[in-house]
Amino acid sequence: MADIRVEHLHKEFGTGVEKVVALDDVNLDVSGHVFVSVVGPSGCGKSTLLNVLTGIENPTRGKVEITHEGRDAFPGYVFQSPRLLPWRSVMDNLIFVHKDRSKETRERCRRYLGMVGLEDRGSKYPGELSGGMQQRVGIARAFSTEPDVLFMDEPFSHLDAITARSLRRELHDMWKATKKTVLFVTHDVGEAVELSNRIVVFAKGGTIKDDITVDLPFPRDPADQDVAIAKADVLRKFEELDLIAT
Amino acid sequence: MAKTLDASPDQLQKITHGQETRVAARKKRLRAVKRWGWRIAGYVFFLLLWDVASGTLMSDRLLVPPAGVAREIGEIFQSGDLWMHLSSTLQKIGIGFTLAFFLGTTIGLLTQSRWWEAFFKDWVTSTMTTPGLVYALVVGVIFGFSPIGPIVAIVFASFSYVTVNVAEGIRALPKDLIDMSKAFRVSPGSRLRNVIFPHLAPYLFTGVRYGFSIAWKVTVLTEVFASNKGIGFIMRVEFQLFSMAGLLAWISIFFILMLFLEKGILQFIEQRFFRWRQEVKLA
Repeated sequence: MADIRVEHLHKEFGTGVEKVVALDDVNLDVSGHVFVSVVGPSGCGKSTLLNVLTGIENPTRGKVEITHEGRDAFPGYVFQSPRLLPWRSVMDNLIFVHKDRSKETRERCRRYLGMVGLEDRGSKYPGELSGGMQQRVGIARAFSTEPDVLFMDEPFSHLDAITARSLRRELHDMWKATKKTVLFVTHDVGEAVELSNRIVVFAKGGTIKDDITVDLPFPRDPADQDVAIAKADVLRKFEELDLIAT
Repeated sequence: MAKTLDASPDQLQKITHGQETRVAARKKRLRAVKRWGWRIAGYVFFLLLWDVASGTLMSDRLLVPPAGVAREIGEIFQSGDLWMHLSSTLQKIGIGFTLAFFLGTTIGLLTQSRWWEAFFKDWVTSTMTTPGLVYALVVGVIFGFSPIGPIVAIVFASFSYVTVNVAEGIRALPKDLIDMSKAFRVSPGSRLRNVIFPHLAPYLFTGVRYGFSIAWKVTVLTEVFASNKGIGFIMRVEFQLFSMAGLLAWISIFFILMLFLEKGILQFIEQRFFRWRQEVKLA
């Protein structure tokens, strides 16, 4: 578990006439065993927020703090595409993000591969697996580092609906079992409602427009009436905020 | 049959999977045997053509038949000349191309900066397009029979192939994978070993392959003009003696050596390095 504190975060790309503001005065507090979704239209700065949080990009202004019991928190990341090393086996892809190759590390990697149902594919190369399996490897990789906080950037958006649904279930189970703080970026409101305790709504221009608490018991079935109603509520808020292009 | 029926669905899947793998492996072997068959047929065909042409299309003194050339090769083997000339040529190539490789890689890395690129660009392009013959003539005049001549010619003629490929490889660096490793706090050393080098390997390999073949040609050419040792030198001697058998014998030796380097060494390294590609292709 980790505490994420974002204060007056501002991120720009380019200069002069080519200047693009990706994030504009973003303030966000996330802490504990929560699943927070960041929702918004394409190009509203959701991914940039994750990149700044993980240190891939530096903020232009403002402060970002991710701590775990007073020290810097260790992050895990699941990307939109699996981002596996094509020249390393599945197992070695997991080991790659660890500091050592000790027996414990291997054992742990094997365990998380098992959690995503790929224990017998460790020796395969990523190119020999299907897209869904590759994404599973990406999820196992992120969990295997036992991070304090897990960042996920539209991890299921490239997958077919059936695969995405089963992976969402697996993700929820793993989140529950491992008690992580998760920040999950998506443009799929249904997915956000199904998985999260809290939904942060981004608008074009990189500002936070709303912060919604979803107070429903887990596991949530998208076909369930309460879940459907919650989804409709969020979508209605989108309309009120004028986020849906007409 | 009864055994299969006893198996659980899971086992059944494993059994069929095993069979599929075996069938695929057998097909692969058959294809390899067939390819070898065609390759050997190619050799037989061209050797026969050569044999028939010699004496009918051309006088057998001008186009010495394969058997005559083989006899000549045997004599070269016994005389001890072979090793002397071969080692001389190989030494020059070894030193020259090693230098070219490091020079080419360094310049390739430097040209990532646009200033250095402006600095080197036209020189790289012009050394690449200059015919090998020009280098051979120039170093012949400057260095005479010294072995430094061919080495300098090799460096000039071949470094640019390494440079261009390294530069291209670096331009195509997988930013998404590098970002991924940064997000997971992977150390720069591990990043270099596991992301950057495996990505660059095929580019380096292409550079080496091209550069090396150019190095061979330039070495032999330089030896023809200014050397008292080496394959190029001995070819010139045979040429001056109008000894077609000798000339063809040395050409054949050269050919066999190239084939050995290409199939025996380069392909072996390639297969080891890029095994992941083959596995993926088969899947």
